Parts: sequence; structure tokens; C-alpha cells
Amino acid sequence: VKKLITLSVNGESRQVAVEPRTTLLDALRDELGLTGAKKGCDLGNCGSCTVLLDGKPVLSCLLLAVEAQGKDILTIEGLVQNGELHPLQQAFIDYAAFQCGFCTPGMILSAKALLDENPHPREEEVKEAISGNLCRCTGYTNIVEAVLKVAQSEKGTR
Amino acid sequence: MKEYSVVGKPLPRVDGKVKVTGQADFSGDIRLPNMLHGKILRSPHPHAKIVSIDTSKAQALPGVKAVITGRDTAGIRFAFVDTPRYPADEYPLAIDKVRYIGEEVAAIAAVDEITAAEALELIEVEYEPIPAVFDPEEALKDGAPKVHEEIVPTTTCAWQDWGVSRQARPFKVVNNICATVSMSYGDIEEGFAESDHVRQDRFVVPATSHAAMEPHVALANYDPSGKLDVWLSHMSLAVKQYWLAKTLGIPIGKVRVHKTFTGGAFGGKINLFPYEFLAAFLSRKTGRPVRIVLSREEVFTSCRLSHRMIIDIKTGVKRDGTIMAQHVKLINDPGAYRGSSPVVMYLAHAFCNPIYNIPNWKHEGVGVYTNKAICTPKRGHGSPQARFAAESQLDIIAEHLGLDPAEMRLKNVRKTGDVLPNGDRLDSCGLGTGIWRALELTKWKEKRGRRNNRGIGMGLAAMFSGAAYYPFGSAAIVKLNPDGTATLFTGQSEFGQGSDTAVSQIAAEELGLGLDNVILVSADSELCPPDLGGFVSGGIFVSGEAVRRAAADAKQQLLTNAAEILETKVDDLDIGNGHIFVRANPEKGLSLAEIVRNSIQRHNADSIIGKGFCKPVPEIEFYPSLSKGTGRFTDAYGFAVAVAEVEVDPETGRVRVLEVTIADDCGFAINPVSVHGQLVSQAVMGVGDALYEEVTTEEGRIVNTSFADYKIPGVFDVPEFRHIPVESVEPKGPFGGKEVGECSRAAVIAAIANAVSDATGVRIYSLPITPEKVVR
Repeated sequence: VKKLITLSVNGESRQVAVEPRTTLLDALRDELGLTGAKKGCDLGNCGSCTVLLDGKPVLSCLLLAVEAQGKDILTIEGLVQNGELHPLQQAFIDYAAFQCGFCTPGMILSAKALLDENPHPREEEVKEAISGNLCRCTGYTNIVEAVLKVAQSEKGTR
Repeated sequence: MKEYSVVGKPLPRVDGKVKVTGQADFSGDIRLPNMLHGKILRSPHPHAKIVSIDTSKAQALPGVKAVITGRDTAGIRFAFVDTPRYPADEYPLAIDKVRYIGEEVAAIAAVDEITAAEALELIEVEYEPIPAVFDPEEALKDGAPKVHEEIVPTTTCAWQDWGVSRQARPFKVVNNICATVSMSYGDIEEGFAESDHVRQDRFVVPATSHAAMEPHVALANYDPSGKLDVWLSHMSLAVKQYWLAKTLGIPIGKVRVHKTFTGGAFGGKINLFPYEFLAAFLSRKTGRPVRIVLSREEVFTSCRLSHRMIIDIKTGVKRDGTIMAQHVKLINDPGAYRGSSPVVMYLAHAFCNPIYNIPNWKHEGVGVYTNKAICTPKRGHGSPQARFAAESQLDIIAEHLGLDPAEMRLKNVRKTGDVLPNGDRLDSCGLGTGIWRALELTKWKEKRGRRNNRGIGMGLAAMFSGAAYYPFGSAAIVKLNPDGTATLFTGQSEFGQGSDTAVSQIAAEELGLGLDNVILVSADSELCPPDLGGFVSGGIFVSGEAVRRAAADAKQQLLTNAAEILETKVDDLDIGNGHIFVRANPEKGLSLAEIVRNSIQRHNADSIIGKGFCKPVPEIEFYPSLSKGTGRFTDAYGFAVAVAEVEVDPETGRVRVLEVTIADDCGFAINPVSVHGQLVSQAVMGVGDALYEEVTTEEGRIVNTSFADYKIPGVFDVPEFRHIPVESVEPKGPFGGKEVGECSRAAVIAAIANAVSDATGVRIYSLPITPEKVVR
């Protein structure tokens, strides 16, 4: 039986009817039309569904939608502000840190969570932060470079 | 070399903004109003007769809109290979028996996924298990279980549909043989007799998963007017469109494949799959859109694997390392259906053909049905298997002769200008240069042969730039807009490789426009002309050249118009920066916008539309012989020289790849950043292939069906990477470009295998090179 819950997504309060077993990923994709978070395995192994919950990266395929009530959910769709790309998004373009783009939203959000907490990480820390995000196309090197470049830039993250 | 302003530049990709903001639509992101959800019931048995199927309980479940079984789809066949000799052998749903675990038995469309899943459980299938065979060499024996009886064509074959006037013949399956190849050149016996040293080895390569991040998905909407709209995970729409039209019996023009981005393919999304047909079939049956999203487990078990191959290779050499003769015998196990077996066995020769000058050779292969999951192309299609064997053995021989294996390679590699036994001519070949430069950069001489648990090894590979296959060519259209921008229409699909950007660059360069002024319409079968680039490894060489020619056609029209207005000759004009101007007096010129408007005014609204097309290997009528290897194969080859450095833990046998260097000859790099990205991609994928990727089967059941059990490289598995661009200019390619996306993977796998041997003195004859094999 579906139940009406309120989720705070990208700064907006959204009411959504979900079953108790509905994952946050399915609620975002199917009920709210936020398809930026991807379903790559639905088992918590690939990281494509990564979103931020109160600033921390979570695998939205392993979390029930009801558990996300009362928390701030950030998806890739919420990263653009005032029409401007987040520095990480721009860096992913500038450093060719994506190919097919399927893992990209999850990668960017994992990296954002890192930089928000640790604005100037070492390379190993960047790798650690994205070690749960699988990518089959890029070989990762450009992704690590893009994140490091943002960390080194004056603008940093916001 | 000519200075270009758009091609050859490391420009950001045109699909960047939509991909980093989550706005890029993959097929699984599309929802249609009133959409149903499909699910598939799969066989739990590797080999069993279907005694009965009772769908009544499933049909009675509220929310279930359709349940179909093999009875509903009887007579429908399709396959990756559908030629006069090899008629299609696959079914959308099993008819009277199942042949592998995961085979499609029934399908359901329901109002939501949960209902569809519940309904699956209510379908009652009575199976009668029969003896199964899993080992291809067992399957070849008399008295082995028969996976297939005679395969009798139910319709015309694909070649006939595309104009080849030869009828499909029934295919008699003897000893489970699904395909054979046999090709030769020179005199193999004489070659071995003239050799000072002859060596024979057996190498074994397992099945792996493509493991693209996007699981396979199909959304289909059959509307009452008889039109089918589909959104698919694909890497080339022409073949999917053709097969959907044929299997559903609707005109090909009424099947519209819509543009979506594909979340990685690597060959694994190339053929028509049962789930795609079933989504369309269920949509027609229910009158509602139907989406089928496969689970990761289904991708592992039923969406095809790379080819399992046993390779017996015998090579004869002179004392100085000159190769005199080589005899390759393949046993290919494509699983329960033929998959791409005849093609992979042919390519296992054809991709090796341009590497070494081997005066006498024989290449034989037999494809054998077993009760296992089906195999399809994967990045290099036959080359990784064949190069692992040949490059490993070359190192073994070099060691025996006391030669540096790199020098032995240099002695035998082909050169620009060489003509291959099948008639292909190498107009560009960077192998020799690549080896020299890789040796220098990697400090090969210093590192090689130390046996101190660190080792360095080399591997070579080559790849077609396009091949003959239906629809036999790519076309493109360039339409000039009244504001001087251009809209490019190409059927090419963007599945990560960067084609949307590369073709836009090609059109922009030819028209003298900035990249921003080319508007791209791609991968929509209704809007775009035919295209096969992504299917035949010809994204740049074939489709890119079609785009260049379309832009050149439009440019010619622009020049003619400009000459008329400027009252001068076309030959005196040049194009650039959105203008056409008099070369001797660049101040005198017109913007493209002015020219387009002028054409409309002066020539009865004849707006400017350019058309271009390109056929791979135009000299041959339709296709080379897969089984005899005769006829031209391709017009240009990409080449790669890989050097890997590894460290082996002598206690655990664990191999760490420290560095991969690739010297790559892709012709002129249309986008150097994309080229670099393709190479890193293959270096890292090659690490997985070499060290840990294997789809493991027990009694026909795949046991590693998730990323927890099937490891692909993660960020900590990435070696240092160095790229040596060995750019040649391929005269037939657009701006000199050729192939880059598939070649290097094979070279990297071979290089790692050889580096492990250099580090330890241990030769591993099967992939992957696991710690167990190294310590044992």
C-alpha cells in the first residue's frame, strides 16, 4: 500500500506516494522524474545511483525512500545553480572525464561530497572517494585529474 | 601537414553539458504515458524439453496485461549471423526445448514491475531435463548430446533481404558444429620444413562480460497506425531496425529507433536481443508502450559474452627469428546459439593478417554449440584471443632463440605499402615506428629479462577501419540554415566513443565553421540516413567520411553560389570563419548566411543541402567470404603497440600492472582527447581481461552475476599510462583518420601476459592470469 511521504530534494519539498519497499532510487527516477541517478546494478555494487544525503554520498538503490525523509537529498539535477555549472561539472567537461556518461552523475556527487569535506585532497583521497563508483569507459585517470584540478583551483567548490 | 582549425583539436565534447547535468537521456530514462512493464521468464535448466507451460494463473493476476510463450512467436528467427550458409538459429522465446540457463521462455507485460515479477512466479513450466554438454571438445565427440537438430530457414536470409541473390540453405548440425573456417596462403608444410625451430602451444581464453555500466533496456510503442517507436541500448541502429521490422513483419520505414545515449556498449549491445523484440511484440499485443529493463544478473546471463576460444598455434621460424610458417587451429564455443562464431573465427585471422609478414599460413576454426550462454563481439572481436596466443608464443620462441622479443617483432612486422594475401594494401602502418618509440620511452633494454619479480612485455594488434556488412554503407546529410549554421544528419550512435563530437568536427572543418555552428541530429532512424559505422568499427573511417563528403557537397554548392555573386571562379575562392572569400583578396567575401539567402532568392528557393555516402571496401560486391577468408576485408587498419610493466608478488602470485604504454596508429586524430580517452579505456579494460575477468560457469550456470563477484577494474587498479601518438595519414580516411576504439585492448592483454612471464619465468597459457596460476 502506498504511503505519502515528503522528501526534500534539491532544496524543494516534494510529496511522493511510495510503497514501504520502494527504494530512494526508484522514487527519484520513477515518481519524481529525476533520472540523473542511474540504476547500474540495483545491488549497491556500481555507484551509478549515488546521491548526497545531508551531504554524504549514499547508494540510493540500497536506501528506502521512507528512510530519506527529513534529510536533504541532492541529486545531479540540483548541482547547477543560477544556470551555472558546478566547478566539478565544468571540470568533467574540460578534462574529458566522461565518455558514455552513465556513471558520471554518481562520480560527480561522490567527488562533491569529498571536496565539501576536504577541499584540498591528495590524489589517494580522491581515488578513495570514488572507489565505489565503477566506470567502464574512461579508465578513471581523467576523472581523478578533473577532481584534483577543481581542488587546486582558486574558486574551489561552493 | 595542412593546418586545420577544428579537426585535430582537443575540443570539449558536444555531449558534455547534458551528461554532467544528468539531462542526457538513456533509454531507461524515458517513460511514456500508460506504459507497461515487461519481464521475462528464463530457463533454469541448461538443456531440457519443455513439456508444458501453464500461464493461466499469471494471466489471472490483476494488473497483468499479456503473457506470451513460444507458441505466440513460433516461426520467428533472428541471429547475429544470417547468411545463405548459416541461417538464423535464435528464437525470441524457446519453442520445444531450452538450450541454456537464462534462455527466454515466456514474457509478461503488467502495469508495474512488481506485478510483472509476481506474475512470472505464477507461470508453471514443466521441463524434462536432458543430458547437456558444456565442454566444446566433448560436444564434438560422436554421441554427445545434440544442442541443435537441423536448422531449417523459415524466411529469406538477411543477405537476400539486402540484395544478395543467394538463398538460405538448411544447416545440418553434425557433432554440434555451428560454423567452420579454413583459410590458407603459401605452402604451410614447406614453411615448416624450411624452419629451424617449430613450436606448438595451446592457449585458452574464457568468456568475459562487456559490463557496460548501463544495463540493457528497450522501450517500445506500437501505435494503431502500424508504426513502431523504440528506444534501445544500441551501438548502431540499422541492424536493430532491420531485425525488428523483419521479425515483426512491419515495413522498415515504420520502425523508428529514437536517439538516446547508450551507456557503454563494447560490442555487447550490437545484435538484436529477444528482450527488444519482446517489448515490441508485447506493445503490439497490448496496444500500450512496454518497457523491459534487464537486471544486472540478466545482463551477465543472457546478454551475450565475449568468445571462449581454445587456440592451438604452431609457428616455424628461422634461427634469426624470421617467421616462416604459422598454423592456427581454433575451437570456438559460442554457447547454445551460433552468436557471432563464424565472424569471430574469421576475424581472429583477419585482424592478425596485417601485423607480421608470414609467408606460409593456415587458419582453421570450428565453432561448437554447447549448453552455455551465447557469445557476441567484444572490443576487438577475436583479436584479444588471437593476439594473446600469437604474441605469447612469439615471446616463447624469442627466448628459445636467445633473441630480444621486440627485435624479433621488428624483424617481422609489416610496413606501409605492403599488400596482404587477401589484396588489402597498407597505405599507412605505424607498427615499426610504434615499436621503436615504445622501446625508447619505456627503457625496454634496461628493464627486460631481469627476472626480479618485475617484468616488461610487449604486444601488437591491428584492427579494421570498417568492413562490408548490410546496409553496406553510411550516408550523411548537411543542411545549411539561413543564418549560416549547418545541421548535420548522421545515423551514428553515441555510446561513449565520442562520435557525436568527431562527426561534428569533421563537418565543421569541411565547411569552415566553428564547432558551435554545427547542429547535430544523430542516431534517429527516421531523421537520419542509413549508417553502419558503429557496427563495423568504421565510426570515423566510414561514417565520418560520409559526413565529410556531405559537407564537401554542401561546400561545393556554397562555392558555386558565391562565385556567381562575386563574379569570379570557384577555384579562386576559399572557405573559413563562416565566410567564403577571394583567396587573393580576403577582404572580398560573403558570409555563409548571405550565400544561403542568395541561393534561395536567385534559384527558386533552392536551399543548400549536401549529401555524402561511403561504402567500406567499395571494390567488393557485398562481403568477403567468412569461411574461406577470400576477398578484400577493409580499406585501412589501425595499429597498436602496447608495452606493459608488471610487478609480481612471489608469495601470493598477485600481479600488479605498474605501467601501460601504447603507441597507437589511428591515422590522423580527429579529436586527440577522444583518442587518448579510447586508449586509456582499453589499457584499463585490458588489465581486467589479463588479470581477473572471467565469467565462470558450473554445469552451465554462471556463478558470478554481479559486480561483487565479477570484478572489473576500479580506480585503484589503474596503471600509469603513457600514450605515444604514432599518427600516420591514411589517404582514404577523413582528413587521414582511421580506427582507434578497439585495437589496443588486445595488444595490452598480450603485453601484460608477456610481462608476467618476463617477471617470473612462468608462462601462463590461459586467461585470466590469476594468482593461483602464477604461484602454481
